[in-house]
Amino acid sequence: MTNSIERHATLLKAAARAAKNITTILDPLVLFERTVDIICDEFGFYYAGIFLVDEAGQFAVLKAGRGEPGRDMLKGEHKLAIGGNSMIGACIANKQGRIALDVGAEAVFFENPHLPKTRSEMALPLIVGEEVVGALTVQSTEEAAFHEEDIAALQTMADQLAIAYQNSKLHKQAERRSRLLKAANRVGKEVTSILDVEKLLPQTVNIICEAYGLYYAGIFLLDAAGEYAELRAGYGKAGKAMLADGHKLKVGTDSMIGACIAMGEARIALDVGEERVHFKNPNLPHTRSEMALPLIYGGKPLGAVTIQSSEERAFTEDDITTLTTMAEHLAVAINNAHLIDELKEAHTEILRNKVFEALTSASTEAIHWIGNKTLPISLTVARLREEIASGQVDVESLKEDLDLISESAAQIIQVKEQLIGAVREMKPRSILLADIVQTAAQHRSISNQTLRVQVDPAAAYVIADSTQLTRAIGNILQNAAEAGAKSIQVTARPTEERGVVEIRVEDDGAGMSVESQQKVWSPFYSTRGTAHHGLGLPAALHVVSQSQGRAALVSEEGKGTTVAIFMPRGKSNDQAVEAGNVKSILLIDDNDDWAKLFAELLKGTKIKLTQSADLQKFPEADLILVDENIAALALTDVLAALSKAGLLAKTIVLTSAINPERVTQFLRAGVKDVAIKPYAGGEVSELLK
Amino acid sequence: MTTILLVDDEKLVQRSLEKTMLRAGYDVLTAEDCQSGSAVFAQNVQAVDIAVLDLNMPSFDGTPKNGAGLDLLDDLKKQRANLPVIILTAYDEVSKAKDAVARGANAFFVKGREQGLVELVQKILKNE
Repeated sequence: MTNSIERHATLLKAAARAAKNITTILDPLVLFERTVDIICDEFGFYYAGIFLVDEAGQFAVLKAGRGEPGRDMLKGEHKLAIGGNSMIGACIANKQGRIALDVGAEAVFFENPHLPKTRSEMALPLIVGEEVVGALTVQSTEEAAFHEEDIAALQTMADQLAIAYQNSKLHKQAERRSRLLKAANRVGKEVTSILDVEKLLPQTVNIICEAYGLYYAGIFLLDAAGEYAELRAGYGKAGKAMLADGHKLKVGTDSMIGACIAMGEARIALDVGEERVHFKNPNLPHTRSEMALPLIYGGKPLGAVTIQSSEERAFTEDDITTLTTMAEHLAVAINNAHLIDELKEAHTEILRNKVFEALTSASTEAIHWIGNKTLPISLTVARLREEIASGQVDVESLKEDLDLISESAAQIIQVKEQLIGAVREMKPRSILLADIVQTAAQHRSISNQTLRVQVDPAAAYVIADSTQLTRAIGNILQNAAEAGAKSIQVTARPTEERGVVEIRVEDDGAGMSVESQQKVWSPFYSTRGTAHHGLGLPAALHVVSQSQGRAALVSEEGKGTTVAIFMPRGKSNDQAVEAGNVKSILLIDDNDDWAKLFAELLKGTKIKLTQSADLQKFPEADLILVDENIAALALTDVLAALSKAGLLAKTIVLTSAINPERVTQFLRAGVKDVAIKPYAGGEVSELLK
Repeated sequence: MTTILLVDDEKLVQRSLEKTMLRAGYDVLTAEDCQSGSAVFAQNVQAVDIAVLDLNMPSFDGTPKNGAGLDLLDDLKKQRANLPVIILTAYDEVSKAKDAVARGANAFFVKGREQGLVELVQKILKNE
């Protein structure tokens, strides 16, 4: 009796120790393995094993077994029918512990070849609440090793094992759900920031597969007719292959996707082989579970997401809730992307209309202009023919008619010049802005009293073709003058935009209406009457655009107009000048910005530079340079004086805006050459060659 | 003597048309915008037999306007409802032509086909 009490007490202590150990383990498989070891070690039993009831409730499947017999049986997927003739099967069916004291005499005992030494066995059900989730088998090599009271002692431990198992299952579920929620949150967050549907969908399938660790994900969108769900993005190689095939599924009940769209609700197939509506897809042979989630926005179906796992029963009903949230985020993102696309399309349409409108307006202006300029010619010629035919030619009238023809032709030629200017080859370089503005003003006869030029040293150079920019700025200055400006102010300064200079031409002329401001960049549009061809500003804009710049205009009637040109900033170039054979230069110029630059560039050379604007006496020099832009003198007077002194043969006229007429004019006057003005050391070297 | 009111802001067009009309034996009164056209007509309401008006020219406020000739047409018709009017344009725009006729113009004449203008004037005056 005392032995029996001591034994029972030892069993209870051991059971308590075992229970203490197992309740802290959260992984079910580790829990089971540790339990069978603890039971055998604490109680000194031959074998212990743990079975769990399968999903169908038909078999008890071995999940952990002590030692080599356990490993062998696990390998052989050992399972016992519930309610069958095994101790385990019977104990589960009856929800009661059983002992077989002489296993050979126990009718229900299954003779197990892996455990040949077993002489006693105890089977205890693992019960959670009312449900039997599995059973524990404990076996001994001794006959009659277990007593009835031992059942109570070990059942307590089995109950705690069942609770620990239940806890670990719940923990695993909670952990999984937390992971899913985090992943859903990540998907939601990442997808809503992508606004291009062509990027959104492929990135979303990637995010889903990575976040959930899934075999495959695909996104279908409904076609325009709403009849088919077309695959728009698919994960991995399978996705790529299906996209290449133009994979699509009919909306309806033939596929999970089709059905989920038709019914507007999520569907899961836990073993896809058994799911009637599942589409057996040769591209996805390993799919064992699939979930299809509809993409719905504002009650309207947009498509569906398919999520597939290579594991059976990978999804639970709970997952639907989590993943539906993700699908809702995705639907919002798709809708946003669609809206952006619609906006872009609307914007393109507006732009197309505006371009058409601008072209039509420009063509109308051009047609009107050409009609008006050619009409006097054709009309006068027709009249002259009639007069000659009738023999009644009046000489005075004839002279007037010739003037009419000549004036119309001259206006047409001016337009040709503006058009040619814009198509001339551009040679962009760093040019001295102040010099360009002064030259442009001189070409357009804008006096120094009207013009004020202020250039910030940081905006001294811009990158452009000097001839073209002189023409463009000249056009703007001329517009200002023709608008009756008494003051024209040109300022240049660097802008906040890196490497960009703003050139501002402000006048206090008549200004223009809002309507005119909108049309002012159109060719042939002019607010200044019929003698103007309306090409000045369009030609200026063309030049500025070709120089990678841009232009803007603001104006107020009665107050004036401001044209702002934004040009790439240039820089000074202190490259050393190679003098060649030239030892002395006479520069005929006033002391303007370019003359100062030229003197600076020649510093450090052996060239003797003399600068003068005195036409009475010319100092001796190897080379005479004449700046076309001299405010104090008329160029014709300079050339006449040089001619008189016999010095034209070593005179070069320098201009920032070269054109054939000017070149011809100066060469015919007898100068040695006409050259483009140098703004850098290397350019001076070229000139001196 | 038949008198024509010719309103066109293009000086060269105006003068060459004037000379053509003079040579055809008409008296010509000229103006270069809506305001002066209206004023010249007001002083010669009964003397003018037909008006030839440019379509695009400075409007009554002096700014260039597409279709300003139609505004002048309305103005002249108010002064004398039965005045024959020809609208001159460089651009053969059907909708503008329809508008001109709806507002009482007798003809819409596209510049560049001017040789027929004298015949057109004669034809309109004959029908009147």
